[in-house]
Amino acid sequence: MEYLSSDKVAVIDLASGEVSEDELSEDLVAQRIGGAGVTAALYEQHKDGDPIVLGAGLLTGTLTPASSLAVMTAKSPLTGTVVHAPLTQYMGQELKYSGFDYIVIRGAAPEPSFLWIHDGIADMEPAGDLWGKDVWSAVQAVRQQMGDELIQVLGAGPAAEKGSNLAQVMVNQWASGDRFGLGKLMAAKNVKLIAVRGMGLLEIAEDDDFVTRCLEILGQVKSGAWAGRQGQGDLGAALGFDDYAAWLEPLVHRSHSSFNTPFAYNTFLFLDDDPSLLEESAQSEPGVLLGDPAAAGVLRAMGLAAADAAAVIKACAKAGLDAVAAAKVCQAQGKTAAAEIQAALEGIDGTVVGLSGPFSDWAPQGLASDAASWKRRMAVAYIFGIDPIFALMAPEISEEGLVELAALGTGLEITQDSLDAVVADLCG
Amino acid sequence: MDFYRAYRAYNLSLAQSVPGPEAPAAARNSGGVYPRLAVYMGGGSSHSWLWFTQLFERLGLHDLTFLDQDGIISGGLAGCHGLAISGGDTFGMAESLGPAGAQALERFIREGGLYLGSCAGAYLFLHSSKKSLDLFNWVPAKITNLSSRLPQARELPDKLCTPYGCSYVYHPVREAVQLAGCGREPWSGAAEFEAPLYGGPAMIASDDTQVLARYEGFTSRTRYLVEPDLAAETLLNKAAVLRADMGKGVCYLFGPHFEHPQYAQANQLLADAMYWDLPAQSHEAAPLTAFERVAARAKRAWLGDLKREVSNVRVVALGLESHPARWLIGRKVYEPAKLRVFAEAVWQRLRKLERVPRLVLPETAVELVAKWKAVTFCVRLLYRDLHRGNDTQCVAEELFPELNLASARFMEVYFNNLLEEPNQGRRACSVA
Repeated sequence: MEYLSSDKVAVIDLASGEVSEDELSEDLVAQRIGGAGVTAALYEQHKDGDPIVLGAGLLTGTLTPASSLAVMTAKSPLTGTVVHAPLTQYMGQELKYSGFDYIVIRGAAPEPSFLWIHDGIADMEPAGDLWGKDVWSAVQAVRQQMGDELIQVLGAGPAAEKGSNLAQVMVNQWASGDRFGLGKLMAAKNVKLIAVRGMGLLEIAEDDDFVTRCLEILGQVKSGAWAGRQGQGDLGAALGFDDYAAWLEPLVHRSHSSFNTPFAYNTFLFLDDDPSLLEESAQSEPGVLLGDPAAAGVLRAMGLAAADAAAVIKACAKAGLDAVAAAKVCQAQGKTAAAEIQAALEGIDGTVVGLSGPFSDWAPQGLASDAASWKRRMAVAYIFGIDPIFALMAPEISEEGLVELAALGTGLEITQDSLDAVVADLCG
Repeated sequence: MDFYRAYRAYNLSLAQSVPGPEAPAAARNSGGVYPRLAVYMGGGSSHSWLWFTQLFERLGLHDLTFLDQDGIISGGLAGCHGLAISGGDTFGMAESLGPAGAQALERFIREGGLYLGSCAGAYLFLHSSKKSLDLFNWVPAKITNLSSRLPQARELPDKLCTPYGCSYVYHPVREAVQLAGCGREPWSGAAEFEAPLYGGPAMIASDDTQVLARYEGFTSRTRYLVEPDLAAETLLNKAAVLRADMGKGVCYLFGPHFEHPQYAQANQLLADAMYWDLPAQSHEAAPLTAFERVAARAKRAWLGDLKREVSNVRVVALGLESHPARWLIGRKVYEPAKLRVFAEAVWQRLRKLERVPRLVLPETAVELVAKWKAVTFCVRLLYRDLHRGNDTQCVAEELFPELNLASARFMEVYFNNLLEEPNQGRRACSVA
């Protein structure tokens, strides 16, 4: 695979520690396009190893607006079905430029390990000293060990190590779109972290036309319905959360985007410092990044003040817990006061209800006209590597435009028919 | 055809002893020799020896050896037609080479060798009364950027000067300067052109030394470290490039870095100068080094191990690139960005080595991996200490020479693989 590709798939056998490499065939890309289309195919190919398959979308890390997505495909310990967890912020582009298009992680390691992916090299490193650390400490430790703050980390927290169904795979210090307990699966494989640094280069088949088309789409997005809006407050308003922005406002420090995402829908909340602070905070952990629209929404609905809700979300981030699931379990147990919820997080477990389908409801269905269009939009986003929340916010990033970019970028005959076939397969 | 390709085609035909294109004009009297060239990377050198390396590679000159002071003293120049010394700490170079190194250099040139010295490599050969430097008093010229009173810095104060006894060698400007040829062979056709100045000398030559180019003016990219009037007074109309006979050999002293990869016109003039004065033969035969062709599996394993370590260094180097730390090592200020220059130079060539079907590796190939592993350890230690606010001077003093040496040892392997028959050193293949 010559374009938009490193032409390498890493297959890591955790039990033996051996890493093999396969080429990424053009046939596979022409047939499955990329992202979840390919990770699902690789999952099938390696399913005897109960794999975790990690990959970026076909357009991830390019000038395509909001092309920030990486996908983790695996069998969910909660549903027993194959699912795709969306991973945003800067994980997608680092993975895209890491020298591997896809990473298949088979089996289980004999002892706690972490994976170090860089420049087309997949190293399995001992993680005995990281095991037991909270997510934030572990991320900091691995960045210190490898010597770069820009390393992107997928992590399993203490909740995952304890086998909690609510354990989420985290992106750096923050929540991801994993609603499927894939943190638990990582820990069950004795993988504490997957650290990724991408410093490679990718070729584009028709580079001038590709860039021109990307800029056209960007222009349309920036004059679209979301122009001028930002942060979780505006996102909550679009979802019909009354007075949500005002509820958050006293804590809002800044808005924060993922890679190449034109509107910054994440919000950084300050808990332990003045939110109006412009210079860098002297506190080592001044607050928390809010990127999951449902998390604060659920806690607010339980009657928590914004500061208390943010404190719970911060604690979940450190423990590697899905804050939405943790809040719902607490609610079911009648624990609705902030102190009760905080106290319950240590060792929390439970059953997560309402999970269905291969895609995460982290991208709110309320932003789509109906369930079918939401599902199709998710499939398209996961294939091409578009931030799923942004895909719902920006219809200007059309299927037609993405198919055109895929063809321009790869030089392959990728058509609407190819896309329809992959979408149909992913959506079941 | 650009001049790089013209020289490359010519040189590769020489290397392979097959009929090739006509020699570039400056090479017509060179005797059709495919030269073996030495690049100094020993004590006092900074990263700019990599620029000479890149230029030679672009010209199709693959018979390269990378020598530190011990290599020069122990006869490493045998079989070489030319020696290039680039920038760094002139005092450090002189002290490292010492009397034995000076003697080896002098013998090499007087017996017909070609010397290409830029920046510190140019200062080294100028007359000086200072200890160690006085071992290399071979080109009678004075520098104009010397003052007993240090001018006030407009910017980059750590790049402004080098103490020189009770005086200071100061550096009036950095980056691109305008130069003009003086109408002398081999540059009789050179008019105005640009080259980057990073602390190199402005010179006034004696009558028996030829001035090939002068400082003519400044450019939009010139950064003034002192007031523009003083910069003009110090540099303009002063010699930027000298050519001097030394026994049977010739020395070229370049104030600016003519070997810098982003200055094609200066590169061409350097190449023309080199070919104008290349000796037809070296004064001794090159020593043979044991290399062994390895099978595909061994190649993959060795390259994989080396790539891992170089990549690890590259990751840290990129992360530290804009860190404000500075280290004074010898008399030269080093900044974190230099780490990446080494790492990238090796990394890009590693990618090319992957495409060589069967590698030739020295017996010390495993040691090279171990050397890079040590660099990884050291650069990560540097990172951790910087972030903890610890003093990093000792780590930096250990790291930069280690990185320098590890890079040079890699280059030896790389260029030996560009030579199809490494022990004969006269046939070349291309992986570009």
